[in-house]
Amino acid sequence: MTEPFLSIRKLRKAFGAFTAVHDVTLDIPKGEFLTFLGPSGSGKSTTLYAIAGFQDPTSGDVLLQGKSLLSIPSHKRNIGMVFQRYTLFPHLSVAENVAFPLRVRRRPEGEVKRKVADMLALVRLENFAERLPAALSGGQQQRVALARALAYDPPILLMDEPLSALDKKLREEIQAEIRRIHRETGVTILYVTHDQEEALHLSDRIALFRDGRIEQIGTGEDLYLRPTTEFVAGFIGNSNFLAAEYLETVGGTARVRLADGSIVKGVKATHKLERGQKARLMVRPEAFRLRPADGNASLTVEILDTAFFGDRRRVVARTGSGDEIDARPTSDSAEVNSVDAAYGRQIFFDPAAAFLFPA
Amino acid sequence: MPVQAQQGIASPRTSAGLGGLAPALILIGLFFVVPVLALLLRSVTDPVAGLQNYAALLGDGTYARVFFNTFLVAFVVTIVTVLVAFPVAWMLAIMPPALASLLFSIIILSMWTNLLTRTYAWMVLLQRTGVINRALMSVGIIDQPLPLINNLTGVTIGMVYIMLPFMILPLVGTLRAIDPMTLRAAALCGASPFAAFRRILLPLSLPGIAAGGLMVFVMSLGYFVTPALLGGTSNMMLAEMIAQMIQSLLNWGLGSAAAFILLVVTMALYALQLRLVGNSRATGAA
Repeated sequence: MTEPFLSIRKLRKAFGAFTAVHDVTLDIPKGEFLTFLGPSGSGKSTTLYAIAGFQDPTSGDVLLQGKSLLSIPSHKRNIGMVFQRYTLFPHLSVAENVAFPLRVRRRPEGEVKRKVADMLALVRLENFAERLPAALSGGQQQRVALARALAYDPPILLMDEPLSALDKKLREEIQAEIRRIHRETGVTILYVTHDQEEALHLSDRIALFRDGRIEQIGTGEDLYLRPTTEFVAGFIGNSNFLAAEYLETVGGTARVRLADGSIVKGVKATHKLERGQKARLMVRPEAFRLRPADGNASLTVEILDTAFFGDRRRVVARTGSGDEIDARPTSDSAEVNSVDAAYGRQIFFDPAAAFLFPA
Repeated sequence: MPVQAQQGIASPRTSAGLGGLAPALILIGLFFVVPVLALLLRSVTDPVAGLQNYAALLGDGTYARVFFNTFLVAFVVTIVTVLVAFPVAWMLAIMPPALASLLFSIIILSMWTNLLTRTYAWMVLLQRTGVINRALMSVGIIDQPLPLINNLTGVTIGMVYIMLPFMILPLVGTLRAIDPMTLRAAALCGASPFAAFRRILLPLSLPGIAAGGLMVFVMSLGYFVTPALLGGTSNMMLAEMIAQMIQSLLNWGLGSAAAFILLVVTMALYALQLRLVGNSRATGAA
């Protein structure tokens, strides 16, 4: 087996009694866009900082092409990084900021000029070369930071919530830029964010962090369509959780009893559960229907609010046992009247699109 | 309504006008402008009208030596103060705020301690049989006591000690405004700690160094107590000379002229600094 490009081995970081990262192990192939996603304090930034060399791990190792990075100081690691806050050098022009990593490497002047021009073209800021960072918008500053981080062709680019200080429109614009730059340069990117939409939009794979551990790692589709834990299901996308009791597994699918006593058949059996064990049934908002199809389960609910969004409709409802449901069924002309008809009645979902987790 | 409210705020200011400033203007005129003018007047009228006092000061080798000495001491003190203050200010800028404010109050406390007391303390420490010389000799580093007092070394040590807070305070302000992440970014870009210091930290802290440095230089130019107590007769400074002229020689005209030259030099330096710092802020050039 070939050795992985970047390998994190049993990385652990403790601050006194608090362990921020617990034995994280991860292999990253060359050219991958991998996102560390998770709530704040989940250890994703700490892991990134260990790779950057800003924090010495308590134990474990980080290997780049088989060689440990840990004994190498930050300035010799040859890693690119874009930070959460704007960290451009305020006294240097845009061009000199991008040239900085080449100047400290004492590259010849001609090469520096050429590379700076290439990089500014890559981030589409050719006309801003002589400006000072203070004369740029936040989005432009982060693009300069990106150009500076890529100027010396680092094998790995680290990005620590680089878009969190920008407004939504700019964020989307720069996400598109980052995707394009990743495609064009083929650089391996490790990206930290707490924004699941950003993670889904950008990444080849997502490592979802929770309390210093990787809860699940996989493509966005894996995490959304095949969450292995309730935490993953709740963190990625919107989810509705219904209190349930596990009954039995028949032919690979599970039967559960909901709090109102109704039985749901045909739920995917992904966890080993004991008969009678308390469980939680997770249903995505878009899995709900206002009209039943074959094999659908039904819920008797009180509908609290409905709204129409063109392609979708939003229905807020409450089950008899008090679980609140936020449903986003696709709109369908035949359903228009059924909303009124269903008022105070029933909504439906495909049990095969539901997930069962131990409570 | 909003328009009326705005007018209501604006009108008292304009109606008060310069009339409201009168007490302040009178105070400044009486205590700052008039004395300077009196000084200038005296320097060109005492003992007789004319520029003979200035001619004497600028034409005489002895006086020239005093001027040279004054600038030399002020220059050396400023350089040494910057070198000592920078690491201290950096430490204060990056340490936890609670600890930093404790250290700050210790530094301020030293400023409040009587100047004479501190200078005499240095005399005790620096003299031939003082604590420092005896300690060095007992450890065996030196055989003969070092000449630490009544010379440039003594003046420099004593004055740097007194000037440090005036350098540290503006420098901490400048350094605190620098985001430490900027230095991390420099490190990841491949800058060694020294390169990051030279190319990033130093240029960014220049306004603070300039502000503190000018303050120290100007204060040093006119300093009296410390040079008088720790300096030697061969490196007399301007303030000592003025004191001698007025107290011993009763030559008020010459003393006033010397004081006025000091004032002009100081103002010229201040203008220079405004220009330098102002420019570097406007264009960002280091």
